[in-house]
Amino acid sequence: MGKVFTGFGYWDVGAWIIFFIVAAAYVLWLRYQGRQDYKKGTEQDEIYWSGNETPEDGEGLTVPASSAYWGFRKALEPFYDRLVGMHTGVASDILGYYVVVVAFMAAIILLV
Amino acid sequence: MIGNAPFFVVGVLFMMALVGIFMSRNLIKIAIAVTILGSSVNLFLVSLGYRAGGSVPIHFLAGEGEVMVLPTPQAMTLTAIVIALAVTALLLSLIMHVWRHYGTIDVDEVRRLRG
Amino acid sequence: MNWNEHLPALLLALPLLGAFLAPLCSLGGKTVRNAMFMAISFLTLLVAFFLWRTVLAEGIQYYVMGGEGSRLSLPSGMAVPVRIILEVDALSAFMALCGAIASFAGALFSLNYMSRFTGLSRFASLYLLLTAGMLGMMITGDIFNFFVFIEVSSIASFGLIAFWRDRPAAVEASFKYALISQVGSMFILVAAGCLYGRYNMLNMAAIGSALQMGTMEKLALVFLVGSLAMKCGAFPMHMWLPDGYAEAPTGVTCLLVAVSQASLYGLARVCFSVYGIAIGSAFIPWMIIVFGLASMFFGVAMAVVQHDMKRLIGYHSVSQVGYMLLGLGVGLLVLGDPRAMAEFGMTAVTGGLFHAFNYTMYKALLFLAAGAVYYATGKRDLNDMGGLARKMPYTAVMFLIASAAISGLPPFNGFVSKLLIYESSFAVHPFLAVVALVTSVLTLASFVKVFQTAFLGPEKGVLAGVREVPPAMLAGMAVLTVVVLGLTLFPSWSLSNVAEPAARALVDQSGYIGAIMGGGM
Repeated sequence: MGKVFTGFGYWDVGAWIIFFIVAAAYVLWLRYQGRQDYKKGTEQDEIYWSGNETPEDGEGLTVPASSAYWGFRKALEPFYDRLVGMHTGVASDILGYYVVVVAFMAAIILLV
Repeated sequence: MIGNAPFFVVGVLFMMALVGIFMSRNLIKIAIAVTILGSSVNLFLVSLGYRAGGSVPIHFLAGEGEVMVLPTPQAMTLTAIVIALAVTALLLSLIMHVWRHYGTIDVDEVRRLRG
Repeated sequence: MNWNEHLPALLLALPLLGAFLAPLCSLGGKTVRNAMFMAISFLTLLVAFFLWRTVLAEGIQYYVMGGEGSRLSLPSGMAVPVRIILEVDALSAFMALCGAIASFAGALFSLNYMSRFTGLSRFASLYLLLTAGMLGMMITGDIFNFFVFIEVSSIASFGLIAFWRDRPAAVEASFKYALISQVGSMFILVAAGCLYGRYNMLNMAAIGSALQMGTMEKLALVFLVGSLAMKCGAFPMHMWLPDGYAEAPTGVTCLLVAVSQASLYGLARVCFSVYGIAIGSAFIPWMIIVFGLASMFFGVAMAVVQHDMKRLIGYHSVSQVGYMLLGLGVGLLVLGDPRAMAEFGMTAVTGGLFHAFNYTMYKALLFLAAGAVYYATGKRDLNDMGGLARKMPYTAVMFLIASAAISGLPPFNGFVSKLLIYESSFAVHPFLAVVALVTSVLTLASFVKVFQTAFLGPEKGVLAGVREVPPAMLAGMAVLTVVVLGLTLFPSWSLSNVAEPAARALVDQSGYIGAIMGGGM
């Protein structure tokens, strides 16, 4: 039922589901083992935040979405500058890309 | 040669419309150019159906002639005109709203959505 | 009276009736209008389903509009069909089913989502008109009629994108879409005129039976491919798409996803059924593959850096459409070569079409979930969100399922269709598969970002009063979740019963022509 042959290999959804169940069971088992020396209500309960003072309010701690993958974007800055610069948002530019692509295709197909 | 004249006109109108769309910065003028584009296509359709010396393609008005012009492109043109009318009306009303919100109808300044 | 015979016409008549009934029903108040809206959407879904069953059981269905009999394609000794014919093969029925599911889910979602606003009779009217236009594009067999339905759906979508006309961005997005869409439609009309001028026919099957490649045919092909690729959002003609998808009311975005699939259907129909092997050179197939690669990579590259939730998902639409274009392009490239076709061509086409179905379901679900977040919080910028999973558990779970499916995480359905596309495009050139894989990785990266910033993390003080969305919205999302999970759990059933008949119908040009022109082809 859940097996798909692609001609090169196959895909079995049942096997994956069994894998996830086994993996989840193993993780839960590991978690259940726990640490023997844990004591509730002592300093062990405190959040470890790179050795810094833990702020009371967690709100300011998150990385905002526009800073996520900052390194990726920084590394590819020339590429992104060009790509984002292409999206000028001017209506005639949007239309221009379309007309240029159609004209290019028409020219090539009539020449070839 | 003279039979192809409508197609030359179609080509010229089509190019004029495209040039108009890209060269004007005023949104109203762009809308006018889009209308011209529609008209050039309609002219193309009507000229496709023309047969030299043909009569009207209506059963009881055709007269003695053996040749009739094709009725299908005329039906297509009527449909296309109605559609173009609706789109033009919508374009103009959208431009009206753009003016209301942005205070300008310069195409280069209506670009809050970008990137 | 045999209802099966009239299913193709009913599929169009129902939403059209609903569109013009909506203002009338609004006189009876909100409940009557909503009941009518839901009833029509549900009946359309039922008709699409029965039509699909009928086509799978009995082969190609066609319906002659305005003829002496609805099954008389060549009346009184005519050599070519002269009337408007609706032709429904397995591919059309498959696409119509997919579109009808998305339309129903979007309508269900809109019941609550739009209830705060006025002008809802016009909303229902335009929504059903858009559904009618989309289904019309999918089942018509006439190229001029195809243009008419494209325009019906475009005009309805201009109105719907600008439905919140007091928001500048919505008006701007609608104007940009209207401009490019109108120019694109004119190119399609020129193409229809070119083909009519050559063959004096408008029926796609009849044109396909007579087609010889010449200058006019080449021009018509280029105009059709360019315009339809623009309509489904191929790079670099995609820029209207994130704008329009992000600014439209969310229920509509869900339907717009399906409408872009109707354009993709048109592209496939023109390339495979009208031109077929007569397409000659490999230029157009390679062009479609290049569109696919560029859309995939640049679309997802743009998506990674977005931080407006709906706009980000809109850029993912560009990249996902790339997969389907890649699959169809590979299939078209080897269409004339039976050995390569059997080896990987069919796999590519099947993968592309299955991906279209999967994509419509999970992308519609993603948009609905983003809309639910917007409904609950009033925010679309990911920077302002956080910790929503505690407040909106159902939305969070459904969003997680959809984002796992779109990223192609096992065991979800997105992976099955992507796998078929990877393997078949690898056979053409490994580079194609590499681009597809990189795209998949970046897709996962950007959805990890969305899920982490919106649903996980500490709670924001301003979002303390957020509640889970009302039941009709959850029901709309649940419909799509059930379909996604069904496709996930039964991949071989859905492949052999849903995608493969459609793929076989698409590559079987003589079958499509023969149904209209008679068996002698």
